[in-house]
Amino acid sequence: MSRENPTPAPGARRGPTPPPLTGDPILRTVSRAVFALVILFALLLLWRGHNAPGGGFIAGLMTAAALILHRIAYGHSALRLDPARLVPWGLALSFLTGLVPYLLGRPFLKSDYGYITTALTGKFEWASALLFDLGVYLVVVGGSLAIAYGLAEVNPQERVEDDQ
Amino acid sequence: MTLAVFLPFLFAALCAGLGPRLGRRTGYVAALAFVPALLLALPLSAMPAAVPALEVTRWVPTLDLALALRGDGFSLLFAVLIGVIGTLASLYAVAYLSERERFGRFYAYLLLFGGSMLGLVLSDNLIALFGFWELTSVTSFLLIGLWHTRSAARDGAVKAFLVSALGGLGLLAAVAMIGIAGGSTSLSGLNLEALRASPLFVPALLLTLLAAFTKSAQLPFHLWLPTAMEAPTPVSAFLHSATMVKAGVLLVAKFGLLFGSSALWSGIIVPVGLATLVWGAWIALRQTDLKALLAYSTVSQLGLLMSLYGLADAEGKFAATAHLLNHAAFKAALFFVVGIIDHETGTREIPLLGGLRKALPLTFAAALLASLSMAGVPPLGGFISKELFYEAMLHRGPVFIAVAMLGSALTFAYSFRLLRVFWGPPRHPVGAEPHEAPPGLLVPAGLLTLTALTFGLLPGSAEALTRTAQNALDFAAYRGHLQLWHGVTPALLATLLTWGLGAGLIGQAGRVAILQRRLTPRVNANTVYYALTEGVNVLSSRLIARTQGLALPDQLRIMLGAAALIAGYAVWRAPQVFHPIGTPPLALLPIAALLVAGAVGVLLAHSRLTAVVVTGLTGFGSAAAFLGLRAPDLALTQLLVEAVTVILYLLAFRYLPRGGDLPRARWRLRLDLLLAASMGLGATLLVLAGVRFLAPPISPYYLANSYELAGGRNVVNVLLVDFRGFDTLGEIVVVGTVALAVLALVRLGKGGRPRLEASAPPPSPDTPPAPPRIKEEA
Repeated sequence: MSRENPTPAPGARRGPTPPPLTGDPILRTVSRAVFALVILFALLLLWRGHNAPGGGFIAGLMTAAALILHRIAYGHSALRLDPARLVPWGLALSFLTGLVPYLLGRPFLKSDYGYITTALTGKFEWASALLFDLGVYLVVVGGSLAIAYGLAEVNPQERVEDDQ
Repeated sequence: MTLAVFLPFLFAALCAGLGPRLGRRTGYVAALAFVPALLLALPLSAMPAAVPALEVTRWVPTLDLALALRGDGFSLLFAVLIGVIGTLASLYAVAYLSERERFGRFYAYLLLFGGSMLGLVLSDNLIALFGFWELTSVTSFLLIGLWHTRSAARDGAVKAFLVSALGGLGLLAAVAMIGIAGGSTSLSGLNLEALRASPLFVPALLLTLLAAFTKSAQLPFHLWLPTAMEAPTPVSAFLHSATMVKAGVLLVAKFGLLFGSSALWSGIIVPVGLATLVWGAWIALRQTDLKALLAYSTVSQLGLLMSLYGLADAEGKFAATAHLLNHAAFKAALFFVVGIIDHETGTREIPLLGGLRKALPLTFAAALLASLSMAGVPPLGGFISKELFYEAMLHRGPVFIAVAMLGSALTFAYSFRLLRVFWGPPRHPVGAEPHEAPPGLLVPAGLLTLTALTFGLLPGSAEALTRTAQNALDFAAYRGHLQLWHGVTPALLATLLTWGLGAGLIGQAGRVAILQRRLTPRVNANTVYYALTEGVNVLSSRLIARTQGLALPDQLRIMLGAAALIAGYAVWRAPQVFHPIGTPPLALLPIAALLVAGAVGVLLAHSRLTAVVVTGLTGFGSAAAFLGLRAPDLALTQLLVEAVTVILYLLAFRYLPRGGDLPRARWRLRLDLLLAASMGLGATLLVLAGVRFLAPPISPYYLANSYELAGGRNVVNVLLVDFRGFDTLGEIVVVGTVALAVLALVRLGKGGRPRLEASAPPPSPDTPPAPPRIKEEA
């Protein structure tokens, strides 16, 4: 997929995705299996981040990697919306998680946690920090995907001039 | 009061959402946002006697940061004024704006501005005061530049912002100095003796004046105000008459209590104010655009207010507060009137208009009364406050009263010039059919005109309002009253003389115009402004060409060289006693070897692809090292960052030219070697210096408390989301900003620009049919 110095056809300027990135059958087959696994693992990382290695940032990077893989394999995004739109939502979510304790008279961003016991899951901890982490996750997914998609969409014909 | 300040902000968000759905009716929602501000009239009515209310919302108590709102007479008076004009402007805009305007944006900006203005007048905390001050600058920038597809609007917005931001910086410094010298960040809790004795007193005073002069468009900072009229007319009425520009006057009035004891205070403000009065009126007289005339008239009137508050005695403050009310009434009314004329005829050029009296009788009545108030003719409010102005200036000396009379005579002349469009043979641009304006436009103008008339016919009403501020501004001792007839006093004689002069100016209009043209200076504030901005542009583009325009290796050389110099300087200035490193764990040695191998491999690689792979080696090596040092979180993060970086790199890879051996000069090779070596040495030294703990480490605290306090067993994560959640919040803001910036770069490169330019400018009554209408300052 990394053909050096591509020379696209002159008429291909407006194509949404440059041809060298898509259409490889092996890549498609593999990515179909891997995509779901990686996303699941990313969500697991996000979920367990509070008590074991993981967290929103890593999970976000992993999700972004999976989505980019999908995009490269299939030529279209698995995400239905512009990834840049995730950024403000993530920011707002993180900020609101911080704001709620402040409005309740505690320090800004003070997190809270507790335990719930249900028959199905057993004793189980919830933490408001998870929401904050979810915000981080969304920002990281949105931000890195936006950059990657942006780069993928540029027409390779507009190459940088020789730099020396 | 807290509600009065915050409701406009809340409603701004609401209006932004409702705008596309409700269209012009959003204005009714927007007007509701000012209801709490109007309700402040209730505490105001009890005012000279009642104790000012204080509402404090704590923010960061350890830094003495709080949102303290103090409802003393003056603040409340101002707040109610903003509420009234804000409501009227919102309603007026409903009828004024064209159907295709982006209402959501317009009303959101208007309310944001109104809210910050209310915050500014009510703030007792100096820091909050500064914050709201800057907010008014930002929001007025947005308002002036509302029709951003027009270059004049952009220029006006940028100019207003640059000038008032300059003053804002001054205010920030002044506020810090006052806070330090006065021992408090609360305006009402300052220690005045300490402040006056402090060496910071004079600098703080000068910086405060800079802020006040830039915001209130005093000489030589008056250049931004006339171009600010590129905003839609309802906004101009709001900005010019009641609020934005009066922020500087407010600052002088409020801080006069701190600085008024100094001779420097009056010594600077009064001459500057009077000079602005005369100069603004002089330029106003030669404008042919009605709105430009009003804009320069605002400059002039602000000079008058400034000079009165600058006197810092009871008489001056009384007169100034009375004139403040009058000015708000007649100036907003006049802006509304000009809006009507523009709306009905499609132009604001005086030479193109005439005889509108017949077509617009009610508008004419409003214009006549408001202009007469501005000219200082009885029985209107403007006359009474001008008499007080003359009184005050008479007490200062003959030069002062002479200048004041000159300014007022010019005011008299331009007030009548404004009325000329109503007399004479009917004349208006072809195609326009002027007929009386709809009630939505007439009622706001009419109400304000009636207020101006009431202030004149029933001076007691204006006096009662003025007196509400007497305790706040410390003029309770002043015995004077507002009345139409004082008997034959020197002030009245001066007024008669002024009228004579003004009538002369009107009668000899032709000669005056010639004289004005002849006296036009070649260099003025605007030329200086453009020369300065041009100079900065040239300087920065040259600087960028020298430092950023080079080939990538040269840029790297500059950056690395600078970093090496700084690191070397740091090590030389503060030689660290290096901590013994101890014996490194043997298991990490292979990893270290891997890292070194990766670094060397990059240098030896001939193709880019190899270089990328080998760089990955160092990344994965670091991850392994983290793992070996029992930091699985870091290792995981490093691994993923490495993976995503490789992906991003490969995406960018397609645009790079073929690598390969580049011809190198020998000296350049040596230079690069030297640079690399010094960077490596510097980095190593810094790391070694960092190993030594200067204070007891803080990590045990986190290890001990992360589970008890935040319920998480993963200390790193708890650190990120709880103990230092604020840092993380900042970081994700950075991530988002970077993503947006990259996106903008990439999309602009793809030819997004033509699409932006294709969006047509919103047609609106203010869209000028005419060439540039402001005579750039006479």
